[in-house]
Amino acid sequence: MNSNAWIISIGASLAAATPIVLAALGAILHERAGVLNLGVEGMMLIGAVAAFLAADAWGNVWLALLCGILAGGSLAIIHSLLAVTFRANQIVAGLALTIFGTGVAKYLGEPVNGVAISTSINEIKMPFVGNLPAVGRVLFQQDVLTYATWAAVILVSLYINRTRLGLALRAVGESPATADAQGISVARVRHVHVLLGGLFAGAGGAYQALARAPGWNQEATTNGIGWIALSLVVFATWRPGRALFGAFIFGFAIRSQFTFQAQGITIIPSLVLDILPYALTIIVLIVMSFGTARQRLGAPAALGMPFVRDER
Amino acid sequence: MISVKLERRLERKRFLVVSVPAMSIFAALVAGAVFLEATGRPSGAVLSHMAEAAFGSMDGITNTLGTCTPLIFTGLAAAIAMRMGLYNIGGEGQLYAGAIASSGAALAWTQDASTPFAITVVFVAGAVGGMVWILIPALARAFLGTSEVITTLMMVFVADRLLDYLILGSDSYWRDPLSVGFPKGERIPEAAQFAKWFDGSLVTVALPVAVVMVLVVWAIGWRTSLGFEMKVIGDSPNAARYAGIAQRRTIVVALLMSGALAGMAGATEVGARAYQLDPGGLRLSLGFTGIVVAALARANPFGAALVAFFLGGLQSAGRSIQAASDVQVPKSLALTLQGTILLFVLGGEIFSRYRPRVAFNAATPHERLGAEA
Repeated sequence: MNSNAWIISIGASLAAATPIVLAALGAILHERAGVLNLGVEGMMLIGAVAAFLAADAWGNVWLALLCGILAGGSLAIIHSLLAVTFRANQIVAGLALTIFGTGVAKYLGEPVNGVAISTSINEIKMPFVGNLPAVGRVLFQQDVLTYATWAAVILVSLYINRTRLGLALRAVGESPATADAQGISVARVRHVHVLLGGLFAGAGGAYQALARAPGWNQEATTNGIGWIALSLVVFATWRPGRALFGAFIFGFAIRSQFTFQAQGITIIPSLVLDILPYALTIIVLIVMSFGTARQRLGAPAALGMPFVRDER
Repeated sequence: MISVKLERRLERKRFLVVSVPAMSIFAALVAGAVFLEATGRPSGAVLSHMAEAAFGSMDGITNTLGTCTPLIFTGLAAAIAMRMGLYNIGGEGQLYAGAIASSGAALAWTQDASTPFAITVVFVAGAVGGMVWILIPALARAFLGTSEVITTLMMVFVADRLLDYLILGSDSYWRDPLSVGFPKGERIPEAAQFAKWFDGSLVTVALPVAVVMVLVVWAIGWRTSLGFEMKVIGDSPNAARYAGIAQRRTIVVALLMSGALAGMAGATEVGARAYQLDPGGLRLSLGFTGIVVAALARANPFGAALVAFFLGGLQSAGRSIQAASDVQVPKSLALTLQGTILLFVLGGEIFSRYRPRVAFNAATPHERLGAEA
């Protein structure tokens, strides 16, 4: 077996994990605030198409990334308006956003289908540590956004668990009535975190369009990554660090089948690796439902429920 | 100080139930027109072309009816779950599973069969496939309380990968061994291919079957004690427990019915359109659109049929504008409009439930207390 191919494959699966982790971080933030958002896929797609069109027009990859982030955020504003202010059904609203975002992205992407862009987010090799055998290739030859994502995982984790604002966030997600009685504005906390979720999802979508395979492919550019991110949030039981770890597993499952094929290994049918992330998520959900695990690992208690002060 | 407060309406005004969604759809179409103009397309020409293509001629209407048939099934599937406050997001996956089961059954049992027998086999197998696909989420929901939203959604992707595996990734029973070049599914026997009622459109026996299912769902959901129990569980689980309703059984039964209906949409796709297991052609998001149908119809089966007809028209118009020489708009416009309409209807719904009240200079209780202190 060629170990070099595996090292490259593991390195690539870390990069493949980046957009999933970005979107999952965003989803963790708004789900911790008690807002379910099935619109992540739509936000990623619209972020991807905005970033691609910007890069195509202006040739500046950072400006394009910003456009993608803002596009994701603007869709999130629609979601928080519907789900928080208008108290609409969060499941249907999220689904509507995914349909809308997919429609807009494909509509705008149709004329540029198959177009590649010259500029992209490139990999950089870190000095010294980048030259280490194996580890250097896997960990220290990634692109800037991947490093930034790893940093964001730490920051979001600290924010949720170690800050006063994070405490307010968790209170709103677990028991909005209690948070309200403490003087926390439930609506404001939810608006802010849904917006953050959209910005992160937009960044993930932009990464898909700008890094790795820069270009627009109508069918493949995000193709279901938003849904994988949502399943990852459950798999990670709403914790950022576990989301990063889970994304490596998911990324590796997605990537490794190509490596298995290239190496001529056929012990594991590709189907098993293909469905692994989804099967794991279902298993985690079911295990979480058992008595004590439910309290320790379970979803934010108020997830998916609108909060209206005078109607509880 | 001007402030806007939302006050809950004590009773639902009848005229608002119709006028608010109508205004919302109108507003959504205006937004769609603005979007078209912003992307450099003549909005008037495009929208009138779409209306003409969907509902303006006999051909248009038969196309719309053909397109809406699977949407009626998936819409009913979502609606019957919503009747008891459950969200079967995985209609898409149950549709794939139904397609796999019905094409497999047709290949196995309809070789020399009569047409009525073959049609029955296709639909029954599709329903069974859909039920199998929702079984785990249904049992987990009923016995462990596991949210069905994410589990049914995850099963969509399992079915999606299974589809590719059966046709592209293995020498399965479904794959045509003689297909040269790109792998295809094996064609089902002639008896199982639904006859087309009109040239060039997909109206088949599946349409009356769908209409019958509308009546069946209405009868079960609105005219039986099972349906009443479903509603009680949906409205108030505590009241249901107090009344001694067998919640677990009811949840499993309702979700299995939901899965069966979505599976029948898959059977329709096999029997009326593809005549084989066709992974590429199945991925039309018919299952996801079914949730839109049910949401717009407020889970009412007759409403679902009506909304499915409208959205079917939108989709068939979408294909038409892509092909039309004078406008040439990407067919994803239909998807965009569908999303826009749903967003506007959801947003508008608050006006049928709440009354916006504008207050001038009205101090809030907190402020009044502050002033006194």
